[in-house]
Amino acid sequence: MNVIEVKDLRKEYGNVIAVDGISFEVRSKEIFSLLGPNGAGKTTTVEIIEGIRNATEGTVKIFGKSMDAHIKEKIGVLPQEFQSFERLTVRETLIYFSRLYKKCGNIDEIISIVGLKEKENELYKNLSGGQRQRVGVAVSLVGNPELVFLDEPTTGLDPAARRGLWNVIKKLKEDGKTVFLTTHYMEEAEYLSDRVAIMHNGKIISIGSPKELIEKYGEKTRIIISIKDKLIEIETEEDEIPELIEKIRRDGTKYDRIEIKRANLEDVFLKLTGARLK
Amino acid sequence: MNLKAIYGDIQASIKNWYRNKAALFWTFAFPILLILIFGEIFSGGNEPYIIYIQDMDNSMASHLFVENMSHINIIKVKLIDSSKNIEEYAKEHAAIQIPKGFQDSIIYGKKCNLTLYLDPSKQEINSAIKSFLISVIGEMNLKISNATEVIGYEEKYVTGNNFNYIDFFIPGIIGMTVMTSAIYGSIEINVKYKKRGLLKKLLTTPMKRSEWIFSKMIYQLIINFLSTIVIILVGMVAFNMKASFNFMVIVIIASASFAFTGMGMIISRFVNEEETADSAASAVNFPMMFLAGTFFPIEMMPHFLQVFAKILPLYYVNEGLRNAMIYHNFHASILNTTIITIFAFIVFLIGSLITDWKEP
Repeated sequence: MNVIEVKDLRKEYGNVIAVDGISFEVRSKEIFSLLGPNGAGKTTTVEIIEGIRNATEGTVKIFGKSMDAHIKEKIGVLPQEFQSFERLTVRETLIYFSRLYKKCGNIDEIISIVGLKEKENELYKNLSGGQRQRVGVAVSLVGNPELVFLDEPTTGLDPAARRGLWNVIKKLKEDGKTVFLTTHYMEEAEYLSDRVAIMHNGKIISIGSPKELIEKYGEKTRIIISIKDKLIEIETEEDEIPELIEKIRRDGTKYDRIEIKRANLEDVFLKLTGARLK
Repeated sequence: MNLKAIYGDIQASIKNWYRNKAALFWTFAFPILLILIFGEIFSGGNEPYIIYIQDMDNSMASHLFVENMSHINIIKVKLIDSSKNIEEYAKEHAAIQIPKGFQDSIIYGKKCNLTLYLDPSKQEINSAIKSFLISVIGEMNLKISNATEVIGYEEKYVTGNNFNYIDFFIPGIIGMTVMTSAIYGSIEINVKYKKRGLLKKLLTTPMKRSEWIFSKMIYQLIINFLSTIVIILVGMVAFNMKASFNFMVIVIIASASFAFTGMGMIISRFVNEEETADSAASAVNFPMMFLAGTFFPIEMMPHFLQVFAKILPLYYVNEGLRNAMIYHNFHASILNTTIITIFAFIVFLIGSLITDWKEP
């Protein structure tokens, strides 16, 4: 079942085309990522779907309907660069937003999900960047939504904080929620997503699971063996790697280093656009 | 209307406000400081000597008397129309009435008394005014009848309300605080919420824009009533202020809150950066604060500025509050309130219509 259906979506700002006639669907209970570099049109697209912006052309259906108050009860949104009230505590912030919904989730449970139990009585302004982002995610969950939009949730976070937030996002899927994620971090999309839509210059240039995209556009896995000043590259299948390494050892080849190079979404993006993702 | 959401928004706004030291300073400490400073400066009776003169004779002799009084440098003569009740004016400043038949009395050498209306509570001013009057009368008697006392005066005391500068000043400070708090508050909320992505966030929740605007109005009203109460208490305790708090004051503050919040909403529409928001608010606040009769009567300003003052909404707030709190002139107060309310309705409507949460 499709939770979101986007058809021929187009957004123009004067002569600039931010979103160029894109169509896609988001399935129920999946993590769907819109991946692309800054300026690709990801945020414009997600904000049109969330009802923050109007489209120039095209249609958006959420749960089969256009955005209305009823739909808003079923979605939770973390806008890009969201900052909450400076002088409210974490708990107060969540209580504030929960009152905006007819039905709301359990605040204690949400605080636990995002790992802010120890900081629940801390003022927002005293939190670190990672903790603030967790509050943002928590705020998007207070209405007990079926569909959660997270727009660049890990931008600006250090690797540890990013990993922590990934676990929170994985947990949302486990809890049966559909997650719509926008990101320009390839590894984030690859790690979290069931399906990824790669966006470039306002267009979706490819869509599918990370595995499918890599298999379709990425180069084969390679084993690179460095022997003195020489590099030997061997293309191989993933399941043949252990056997190949064992064979090299058995042959008694003296090597300095063995490196396994797997294709990733970065390579897919490079292959499709000729440009790097960052 | 989702009352739970509105209540939650008001509660959150108040918490966010009372935890903000700068906001507390501008709402309470700043007006109190102004009251203490200005109250101390002007409580010594240093007001200019204003004298009202009502000329019931309208003759050459009466005109000469008025002219002689006007020649005294530290006196400002204000003429009252003969149809007005002089005692009303005398409650404010000393007043002299030239009786009908003033010139004839002089011609026929009959003694004629001017009536000097004084407020018995202002003894220091009264003695100065009496000495000016005696000197003018003495000079005229000398010229007219070789020092025979043809022109005399009798004193009449008016049981005025005994108001002094602080009573005039406090309603102005209340008006100024309501304006400052509403304009700055409205601009800050709109610009900061936009900058922080809070408006985007709210747009994706079931809360309606009208509910949000309504809750912000109530919040602003609560803050304004709190600051009004504190200002009045300080005035009463520190300067024995006599101004009263009544129903009209509540109506004026409510209308003013709506009016200035509406103005703030309109300004916010054209300001995107937090840094420029304060400047934009100041650009509106400061001229109004100084020109709308907050610190001194607009009559002390040049004529063209007086005309300008009367197009400023704060002027009607200040006048309305003074009419309600000091002069107890409820008819005038209702007129001021009506003007503010109409203005509030127009700007609030415009503000609500142009405040758009949606991004372009």
